[in-house]
Amino acid sequence: MADDRKRMFQKDLENKFTKEHGTNKMGGGDITDMRIPYYRLGVDQNPRKLEMKKVGKEIAEKRGLAGYNPMMHCGGIPLGQRALTPSFISGNDDMMVENDDLHYVNNAAMQQMWDDIRRTCIVGMDMAHETLEKRLGIEVTPETINHYLEVLNHALPGSAVVQEHMVESHPALVDDCYVKIFTGDDELADEIDDQFLIDIDKQFPAEQAEQLKSAIGNTTWQAAHIPTIVSRTTDGGQTTRWTAMQIGMSYIAAYGMCAGEAAVADLSYAAKHAGVVGMGDMLPARRARAPNEPGGIPFGNLADIIQTSRINPDDPADVTLEVVGAGCMLYDQIWLGSYMSGGVGFTQYSTAAYTNNILDDNLYYDVEYINDKYDGAADKGIDNKVAPSMDVIKDIATESTLYGLENYEKYPVALEDHFGGSQRATVLSAAAGSAGVLATGNANAGLSAWYLCMYLHKEGHGRLGFFGFDLQDQCGATNTFSYQSDEGLPHELRGPNYPNYAMNVGHQGGYAAIAAAAHAGRGDAYALNPLIKVCFADEMLPFDFSQPRKEFGRGALREFEPAGERSLIIPAK
Amino acid sequence: MAYEAQFYPGATSVAENRRKHMSGKVEKLREISDDDLTIILGHRVPGTDYPSTHPPLAEMGEPECSIRELVEPTDGAKAGDRIRYVQFVDSMYNAPSTPYFRTYNAAINFRGVDPGTLSGRQVVEARERDMEELAKFQLETEMTCPALACLRGASVHGHSLRLQEDGVMFDMLERVRLENGTIIVQKDQVGRPIDKKVDLGKPMSEEEAAKRTTIYRVDNVPYREDKEVLEWVHRIFEKRTMYGYKPAVQE
Repeated sequence: MADDRKRMFQKDLENKFTKEHGTNKMGGGDITDMRIPYYRLGVDQNPRKLEMKKVGKEIAEKRGLAGYNPMMHCGGIPLGQRALTPSFISGNDDMMVENDDLHYVNNAAMQQMWDDIRRTCIVGMDMAHETLEKRLGIEVTPETINHYLEVLNHALPGSAVVQEHMVESHPALVDDCYVKIFTGDDELADEIDDQFLIDIDKQFPAEQAEQLKSAIGNTTWQAAHIPTIVSRTTDGGQTTRWTAMQIGMSYIAAYGMCAGEAAVADLSYAAKHAGVVGMGDMLPARRARAPNEPGGIPFGNLADIIQTSRINPDDPADVTLEVVGAGCMLYDQIWLGSYMSGGVGFTQYSTAAYTNNILDDNLYYDVEYINDKYDGAADKGIDNKVAPSMDVIKDIATESTLYGLENYEKYPVALEDHFGGSQRATVLSAAAGSAGVLATGNANAGLSAWYLCMYLHKEGHGRLGFFGFDLQDQCGATNTFSYQSDEGLPHELRGPNYPNYAMNVGHQGGYAAIAAAAHAGRGDAYALNPLIKVCFADEMLPFDFSQPRKEFGRGALREFEPAGERSLIIPAK
Repeated sequence: MAYEAQFYPGATSVAENRRKHMSGKVEKLREISDDDLTIILGHRVPGTDYPSTHPPLAEMGEPECSIRELVEPTDGAKAGDRIRYVQFVDSMYNAPSTPYFRTYNAAINFRGVDPGTLSGRQVVEARERDMEELAKFQLETEMTCPALACLRGASVHGHSLRLQEDGVMFDMLERVRLENGTIIVQKDQVGRPIDKKVDLGKPMSEEEAAKRTTIYRVDNVPYREDKEVLEWVHRIFEKRTMYGYKPAVQE
C-alpha cells in the first residue's frame, strides 16, 4: 500500500522545491533528486527577507543605531546559502506563506490565539445566585440574569457601574471584551437573551450537545473574555481578578445590593476562587508564572479549546492535526520558544508539524492502515476500537514510523524540509502517537506508541533530536503507564510542565493532539473539560478556534484582524 | 568462557558496520598528519604546546582518594590540558557514520571523553590531546568519508540536505571543496580560513559509501528488512514500559 499511495505532500513539495519563489532559481528538477545545484544567493532571493533588509537599513539610518543587518550572520555569509523556500499551511490547499511570517512576532493570528486563551476564564453563576437568593432573599429570574449580563457587558471591559466620577477604558480599545453564558438547562437557556447565550444545541452536533448538556447539567456558567489589551499589559493571572472585580460590581448594580455588605465578599470569593475555571494552572515557583499562562494549560484543556471536533466530527484525524498546529504554536513557539528559552529558533521546529502536509500524509496513511487491518478502528466510534495491547501499540507505531522514515528517504525534499532531527522526531511521533490513539481510544496507549516511535527512529537513522530532547524521549516509555500517580498521570491531565515534557521542543503540539485524538476518535464531545469546550464554541472570538492552522496562514498572509490595537490613541502614521 | 561483547543485533551490512564502529575494529583508510589535524581543528597553532588549565597532576599533590588510585588519568588529564572539542557532521546520504555510532565508538573505546549526540552533529569534548586522539582515529578510518562527513564547530546544517552536484555534503560556510578528485579543507571547524590547504583524500564512491554506512535507507539497506534490530527495539521498549508500569512484572 505504501509504495502506491499518492503522497499528500507531493504538490506542496513540488511547489516549494521545483518552482521558483522570489529569485531563488528553484525552477525544475524533481522532488526525488538527491543532488542539486546550490546557488548561494543570500537573502536577496527571498521577498520577505528583502523587505526586512530594506526596513532594517531605514531603521538604522533613522535612529542612528545599528539594527537588523543580515550581513552580520556568520561574519558576512548571510542566510540563503541554500534556497530560501516558502511553506504551505497543511490542510489548506495552496495557502503559501513565508516561513518568517510563521514566527509569532510576525503573525497577528498567532498572537491573538494566545491572547484569546489567556484572557478567558469561566465563572460559575450558581454560587452567586444561591448567595443572592438564600442569604439575601433576592429573587433571581431569567429576567434578572439578562439584566445582570447587560450590566456586566458594560462593566467587564473596564467601565463604572455604581461609582461616581470614575475613569473608564475607551470602548473602542476594548471591543473584544465580553461575557456570555451557557447552561445544560434547556429551560433556562430558552429564557436567556440570544445575544448573551452560547447555545450548545446550535453550536454542536446533536450527539455532542447531549453529552455536553448532560455533563454540565443544570449549572450555569459565564464565559468571560477580558480585553486583549489588558491581558497583554498584565498577565494570565489578571484574567480572573479583572473578571471577578467587574462581576462583583455588576451584581451590586444589577441586584441593587449594598456595596459594602458582607455578601459581596462571598460573590467575590466565588468569582475569584470557588467558582472559577482557568485555562491553565499556576506553575511552581521555579517557573514563576501565574495561572492562565501556557505552561499550566493541560493538554486536555487545549484539546477542548480547539473546536474542530464540532465542525468536522467525522474526521478525527483532521481534529487531531488542527490540535497539533495549535499546540505547536502555543506550547512550542510561545511557551518553550519564548517564555522558557528566550530563543527565536523554535518556530522552525514547530512549523514542521503543520506545514507542507508531511505529518498529515503520515497520519492519514496510518488511518488507512488501521482501518484495513483493524476493521475500521480509526473511524469515529466506540465499539470499533481495538483493545490497547502491547502488540497493537507495537504494530501501529512501527508501521507508522517506518512509513514516515521511508518518506524521508524516498523524498529528499521532505528530509530537507524537516532538516533537523527534532522536527522529524516530532512529526513521526505525532503520527505514531495519534494513530495509536485513534485505533484504541486510549490516550496513554497513544503516548506509548509515541515513545516506541522515538526508539525506532533513533535506531533507524542513528540519530534523533538533541541532547536533552533525546533524554526525555528515551525515558518516557517508563512513565507512560507508571503505577506511581505523579509519573503515570492520565495523558489528558499532563501538560507542558509535566517533568519529562518541560523542555521537549516541538513535541507539545503532538502531545496535545494525542489527548484530542483519544476523544475525537471515540466521538466524544470533549476531551477533559466540557465547560472549556463550550466556552470556545463562540464565533465572536477574534481567533477562529475551529481552524487554527488556516488562521495562522491568514496571519502570515497579513489578512487576520486582531483585537487590542492601539491605533486610536497613538499618532497616525 | 570469557564474555565476548556482541555490541549490536542485526543481520545486515548496516548492523555489521554498527558493530564495527562500536567495537572500534574499523579499517584505516587514510593518513592525516598531526599538524594537519591541528590546523583543521582550529584550536591551536601547529607545533605549539598544549595550553593547560592546571599543573601536571604529578606536581599537584593530589588528595588521598581511592577512586584516583583506581582510575589511571588520561594523558591529557595528567598534563593538565584544557577541554576542547571535535564535532562531526555526517550526511544522511550514506555517510559511513551516524551521530549515535560516533558516540558509541567514543564512549566504548576512549577514556575521558564527553560525547554529545544530536541529529545533525556529534560533539566530543575531552582534554585536548585525548580529543585529538579520538578525532584522528575517526578521521583516518572507515568511519569517515571526507565528502559525506565534515568537521563543523558551528553553522552545521547539511546532514539532511541534498548533496551538491559534485556529491559533497552542503556546507553553508564551504569549509571543504572537491578539487581534482580529492577533498581539500580550506576552513577550520568554525569556518576561519586556514593558511595551508589540507588534503583529506578521495571521497568514497557511492557504492563504497553504501557498503560502509551505518544508516538504514530504503534505497540501500531498508530498516524494515532488519527484523532482528526491530525485534530488539521492541524488546527494549516493552521492558522499559512494563518496568515503569510495575517493577514486579520484570522479576
